[in-house]
Amino acid sequence: MPAEGGDNLNRAILSFESVTKRFGDFTAVHELSFAVQEGGVFGFLGGNGAGKTTSLRMALDILRPSEGRIEVLGRIPSRENAAEIGFLPEERGLYRNMKVLDTVVYFGRLKGMEPGAARKSALELLERFGLADRTKSPVGKLSKGMAQKVQLATALVNSPRLLLLDEPFSGLDPVNQTILEDAITDAARNASTVVFSTHVMQHAERLCDRLLLLAQGRKVFDGTKDEARAALPSRLTLTSRLDPASLPSVSEARLVWSHDDGWAEYQVELRPGSEPGELLETCTQQGFALRSFDITRPTLHEVFIHFVGAEQEIVR
Amino acid sequence: MRDVLLVALREFRQIVATRGFWVMLLIVPLAIGVSVLVSSRFAPSPSVAYVLVDESGRLESRLEQRLERDYQRQVLRELATYVERWQLGAVDPAAPWAQRGSWLVEPELSRFVDQGGAEAALQRLRPSIPAEAPEFELPERLYHRFSPPAELATTEDPEAFGEAITPLMKEEIETASGKMPLALAIYIPENFGASAAAARVWTNGRFNSGLLNVVQDELTKELQLGVLQASGVGSETATQVQSLAAPIIITEPAAGEERGFFATRSVIPVALMYLLMITAITTGSMMLQGLIEERSNKLLESVLACIHPSALMNGKLLGLGGVGLGIILVWAGCAVAAALSSSGAIADALRMSIEALDQPWMWGAMIFYFLAGYLILSTIFLGIGALSDSMQDAQSYLGPVLLIFMLPLIVMMQASLRDPNSTVTQVLSWIPIYTPFAMLTRLGSGVSLAELIGTTVLVVLFIAAQLIVLGRLFQASVLNAGKPSLRDIIAMMKARAT
Ligand SMILES: Nc1ncnc2c1ncn2[C@@H]1O[C@H](COP(=O)(O)OP(=O)(O)OP(=O)(O)O)[C@@H](O)[C@H]1O
Ligand SMILES: [Mg+2]
Repeated sequence: MPAEGGDNLNRAILSFESVTKRFGDFTAVHELSFAVQEGGVFGFLGGNGAGKTTSLRMALDILRPSEGRIEVLGRIPSRENAAEIGFLPEERGLYRNMKVLDTVVYFGRLKGMEPGAARKSALELLERFGLADRTKSPVGKLSKGMAQKVQLATALVNSPRLLLLDEPFSGLDPVNQTILEDAITDAARNASTVVFSTHVMQHAERLCDRLLLLAQGRKVFDGTKDEARAALPSRLTLTSRLDPASLPSVSEARLVWSHDDGWAEYQVELRPGSEPGELLETCTQQGFALRSFDITRPTLHEVFIHFVGAEQEIVR
Repeated sequence: MRDVLLVALREFRQIVATRGFWVMLLIVPLAIGVSVLVSSRFAPSPSVAYVLVDESGRLESRLEQRLERDYQRQVLRELATYVERWQLGAVDPAAPWAQRGSWLVEPELSRFVDQGGAEAALQRLRPSIPAEAPEFELPERLYHRFSPPAELATTEDPEAFGEAITPLMKEEIETASGKMPLALAIYIPENFGASAAAARVWTNGRFNSGLLNVVQDELTKELQLGVLQASGVGSETATQVQSLAAPIIITEPAAGEERGFFATRSVIPVALMYLLMITAITTGSMMLQGLIEERSNKLLESVLACIHPSALMNGKLLGLGGVGLGIILVWAGCAVAAALSSSGAIADALRMSIEALDQPWMWGAMIFYFLAGYLILSTIFLGIGALSDSMQDAQSYLGPVLLIFMLPLIVMMQASLRDPNSTVTQVLSWIPIYTPFAMLTRLGSGVSLAELIGTTVLVVLFIAAQLIVLGRLFQASVLNAGKPSLRDIIAMMKARAT
């Protein structure tokens, strides 16, 4: 249950302090530090092999860090925390011969629930995921998407305070992706903190409040979605009679298209730190004639490419 | 502990839900039942027929008397066993059938026959026979005289007789006592005893030495009689000389000391040894399959997020142990039910084997060694499972491991057929992976207290070590994909849990 005082709202539910994980000579996670505050949805982003799964496993005490300190729910990682955590591993799998309901109840029991409570919660979840009529089927007889929903139910059955989802969207069709997104927002609304890893930025875009960007085991960005976007200059498309390159905050203007009537379309890049709004104001003040002024905020996808690409440059 | 029980329960359910489990559970009692039934009901009767053509007239009555006496000897022996089994000796302690060795003593045998044989004896015994005792069954006669077709009976030429009789020996013939093989044809020429006048015998190839010895013995005696008489000994004296037998007093061991008793006492422990092997290997492979399923579809990660690897491992062992125990209970139930419900040979044998385990520690030792053997094998299977990604992987470990495991046991089983305390068995008693098997084999035939305690301590230590190593393997390898090298495996076994 969430704590009431405003002070507690700021307490980290998951924090890493200079955590390093080595497998032999290979360093999978490098001096990673970050904190996830209670409440909301936290995106754990990074390319293949960035160390997302390794970090989540360390938070669950499946792996132990080589160096550094991790805190989960205010404690060091251990199975004691299992009762308050829901986990969806990256590679899915369930006991094929076990019945759907039994499977969900079993995981509820493993996480310390009483049989009656586990059953009640399992039935509700299965109902919500449209699997109410399949409770008695063996998991092996379900389609892949259905099985994934069952697995999600095993993660949610104990109404966890902290929900860790490793690549939850992989392998789901658009309909089921929507169901999953709803489940995540629901969970966040019901006082859970959701941390999910992904390398598909669209999901992060829609769901995350804050995000962490990893590249090759190192943190390259940590902050809100807007901060992430702000890290990249906004793109501006404007139609004017004169070349905007002479304007004060413009670093570069590229002609895209010249109209016959003297108007031309430019793609403009602003100097870092300058706001498109300021430029518009300057134009109005200076009487710089404009026919159109479109701001395109950078997508997370672009942010991702920017950071991860750059990091890879550095490493190379 | 709660986690261990949860895992154990799930493993138990999973194995019990497989078809293989039920097949195994049912097939063993069924197979034993059927084989006992078949061997008792449909076993070929040992009776054979013989043809005797005695042109000399010197053998015929002799042979018949001899066979009858031998038969009565058999009857007396079995009757005495029956009397002892049902404690009927008190009816007449002086009677020949009240002593176990009397069948070997000629005057006692004569007394038995003179008193009216089995029929008269049973009449006296009947009021005292307890209700649960089966009816005494007279033993089957082994040799039946078959009268040849008339045209053969008077043949003067042994060659012609032989030629005529051999076709009959190829298959079973119809006699007054049912169908049976014609095992022997004997032709005594008229001038038997004269030089070069030999008795002729044809056999059906399956040499029946018992009957042949009797025939030869009686013919020899007949000749000796002739010689004695020729040398002026009166025929009465001669007959007496011939029936002379050195007087002997025979003492047989009391029940509980004889070899047969040890054999009876070994029945249940040895059976348990075989059952242990069957159940441990079958359920072990079922669990191996389960573990590989968990590993190959990455199920383990979900489970390990909730419980500690050691809880998973112990839960699996416990679940498997539960399955093993369940199987034994069902089989023991079948055995007891069979012993109680039927009164045939199976029930008798079972009852005797159970009664022979008269010391409570034997039951304790049996259960301990059974569970220990089960645990040792299961742990090996789990270890293999922790290292394998696929059933194929597992096979490559399982092959050599089972070979190392089974070869000495096969040698031991061979040796213990002759002597349950053979050197091989004694040596294997002290090698922990074989200890439960060797000790179960020897349990019925007497083991020393020192051996019991020594091997128990050794086995307990070994299992503890096994669990530690398995724990490390589990910890280190359950989430790793790919087949580790031998060096990796050794490193994993050495590594303490981080
Ligand atoms: N048990 C292990 N032994 C050795 N190396 C490992 C192990 N687990 C992970 N690694 C390595 O650590 C690095 C990070 O792996 P991780 O699975 O955390 O990446 P990820 O961010 O989850 O990537 P993906 O998006 O592909 O799932 C990879 O290079 C991987 O090869
Ligand atoms: Mg991953």
